[in-house]
Amino acid sequence: MTTTHPPATLTAPRPSQRRARMRETIAGYAFLLPWLLGFFLLTFGPMVASLYLSFTDYDLFEANWVGLDNYTGLFSDPRYLKSVQVTVTYVLISTPVKLVAALLVAMLLNARRRGLGFYRSAFYAPSLVAASISIAIVWKAMFVDDAAVDSFLQIFGIDTGGWVGNQDLTMPMFVLLALWSFGGPMVIFLAGLKQVPTELYEAAEMDGAGAFRRFLTITVPMMSPVIFFNLLMETIGAFQVFGSAFIISGGTGAPADSALFYTLYLYIRGFTDFRMGYASAMAWVLVVVVGVITVLLFKTSKGWVHYQGDSR
Amino acid sequence: MKRTTLALAAAGAAAALTLSACGGGGDTPGSDSTGGTVDPDEEITLTMTWWGNDDRAARYTEALELFNEEYPNITVQPTFSTWDDYWTARATEAAGNSLPDVMQTDLAYLSQFGNRNQFLDLTPFVDNGIDVSGMSDSLLASGQVGDALVGIPQSTNTLALFYNPATLESLGVDAPDAEQTWADFVDWSVAAAEAGASLDPQLYGTGDFTGVFWLFVQHLVQEGIEVFDADGQVAFSEQDVVDWLQLVAPLRDNDLFMAPEAVAQLEPLGGFTANLFATEFSWDNFLAGYLADSGAESLEMLPLPVGSTGEHAQFFKPSMLLSASANTQHPEAAAALIDFLTNDPEVGAIFGTSRGVPSSESARSQLSAEGADAQVIAFEEEWADVITESTPVLPEGYGSIEAEWLRLASELAYGNITVEEFASQWMSAAQSTLS
Repeated sequence: MTTTHPPATLTAPRPSQRRARMRETIAGYAFLLPWLLGFFLLTFGPMVASLYLSFTDYDLFEANWVGLDNYTGLFSDPRYLKSVQVTVTYVLISTPVKLVAALLVAMLLNARRRGLGFYRSAFYAPSLVAASISIAIVWKAMFVDDAAVDSFLQIFGIDTGGWVGNQDLTMPMFVLLALWSFGGPMVIFLAGLKQVPTELYEAAEMDGAGAFRRFLTITVPMMSPVIFFNLLMETIGAFQVFGSAFIISGGTGAPADSALFYTLYLYIRGFTDFRMGYASAMAWVLVVVVGVITVLLFKTSKGWVHYQGDSR
Repeated sequence: MKRTTLALAAAGAAAALTLSACGGGGDTPGSDSTGGTVDPDEEITLTMTWWGNDDRAARYTEALELFNEEYPNITVQPTFSTWDDYWTARATEAAGNSLPDVMQTDLAYLSQFGNRNQFLDLTPFVDNGIDVSGMSDSLLASGQVGDALVGIPQSTNTLALFYNPATLESLGVDAPDAEQTWADFVDWSVAAAEAGASLDPQLYGTGDFTGVFWLFVQHLVQEGIEVFDADGQVAFSEQDVVDWLQLVAPLRDNDLFMAPEAVAQLEPLGGFTANLFATEFSWDNFLAGYLADSGAESLEMLPLPVGSTGEHAQFFKPSMLLSASANTQHPEAAAALIDFLTNDPEVGAIFGTSRGVPSSESARSQLSAEGADAQVIAFEEEWADVITESTPVLPEGYGSIEAEWLRLASELAYGNITVEEFASQWMSAAQSTLS
């Protein structure tokens, strides 16, 4: 905002110049206005409101101040603790699995081969639709008894009797759905791989380093900023998984709360039980936890992320 | 004055409802008596919403066309959704004071909205826009929240024990007895499930019915145990819950229920409609849907097993009500629409028993007497004298505690919790919800 004030050491601009600059400023803000309105009315405003509501018993009709009751109540709510357990398990398993798959496929696609454009598109396509409602429905249909997945496993003599409805197979099913949509981080990895100077590999090869050694000492360090970026984005994304959980569990976290993801329980509390204050408290705990995890990741990144031209 | 009448009606709600006593009477008071209250020259647009499937939507569309012929100046804009999303949407609208003018409502949520003055008090319209003469007083009283009449019951249903004669034949067992006790029925189910264990596909006597909260409520009424007290709190004890859940211990403990993992594979069907369970407890108006889903040639219905007093002591529940928004710009038109949908004989014929047996005499008058409709009506007529009780008044938050019951029943089925844990967890959840 201070950009309209020129440094004092300059000679004062002529009035016409100042007018022109003023007009420019106004025009600038005018162009920004749609975004500013959207941000303040639809994002920042509701966030402030939900912070206030998290200290009330708001039930969509009236809000009475209850202090920290919602926050303290979380930790004696078995379903809340269950939702934390489900979500943390999912984040810890799905994020590394997805990133490793994305990096490996990106390295395969980095080679110069025929029809590479096609394969890149083919591997990327699932991530475009993975978050959609229709895929969640298809996914559920694929995992019921005698459907695609079960029939396939029966070839190997494994009869699961259907994954949907089996509380022990719920989490693997969600991890597979996450894994299938590795296209997003893969494209970013691919872009990163293109930036690694080929002379490094040539030099290493000359010195007799094998493929695995080259991967470990060249690819990983050179790619560490990209790995860090993907790790951060995928971790945050995994905490917020909702659509697929909502569809596959029928909006309830079924079977037996094994698909009770954090955001799904938040939705149930808010929109099924109408306990909006409680749901708001849940949302703020999630914001703080994800924030803390992000800060921690940044802190650890100093130890393992190497930026090119960095003197360290 | 009307208010006093209703209060009296509520007080005397224990009176038995007998549909058979309401036969005949071809007069159609509905639409004529309301004509004066809506200005016929004013162009009015009403919004309306209900829950249900495509079949119900088609029936409503037909009914609303008839309404439009009767009131050419009123345009009704309908929307509908499934039950799962219905109350979420209504609550959000209510928070923004934008409820539809007329909406289908359910007993479980009536007080939640009624207590917050979201619904129009229809008391002034009783017999002055909305004809309730063909409806029993105790039934009408179920639309009451506090001093206000916030819903007009559209239809009634009662719980029944369904059985599939074809499945019984495969099992080689006789149908359960109408005068059986709950324990008798469990014994019967054990025998049926044991007979079905060697068949392919394996057949079962019944599903775990203790997970149906309404059935538990009905059982408490049979035993003369108060369900909810006047303050809207739980009046029965944790032990009552345990006793109810333990009723099926011979089935649950011996794996004579179908595994929950396997039941989940049947969706959207259930064990009964997949023709794998010989029996199921459900509302009698589900008959038509069950016939369609199962493809069964015939399904039969029995009253519930008797309580320890030897009485069935069943009640009629309004299966749905119609309410108007407190914020409607056109209360007279909204009342006229509710009256038309409640009383018009042609509307009654359009819906049949798909919403339950119509609450008003005139709506029942032209009901086609064939197929599932006829069977449901015949069932209610045959067993009219065992329907001696009235539906307990449901507290605010009933919808939530019922959902919690269902959730814990699923946890119990998966073996994640014990019966005792079910009872104590449900009790503490109910206490925090109802406080």
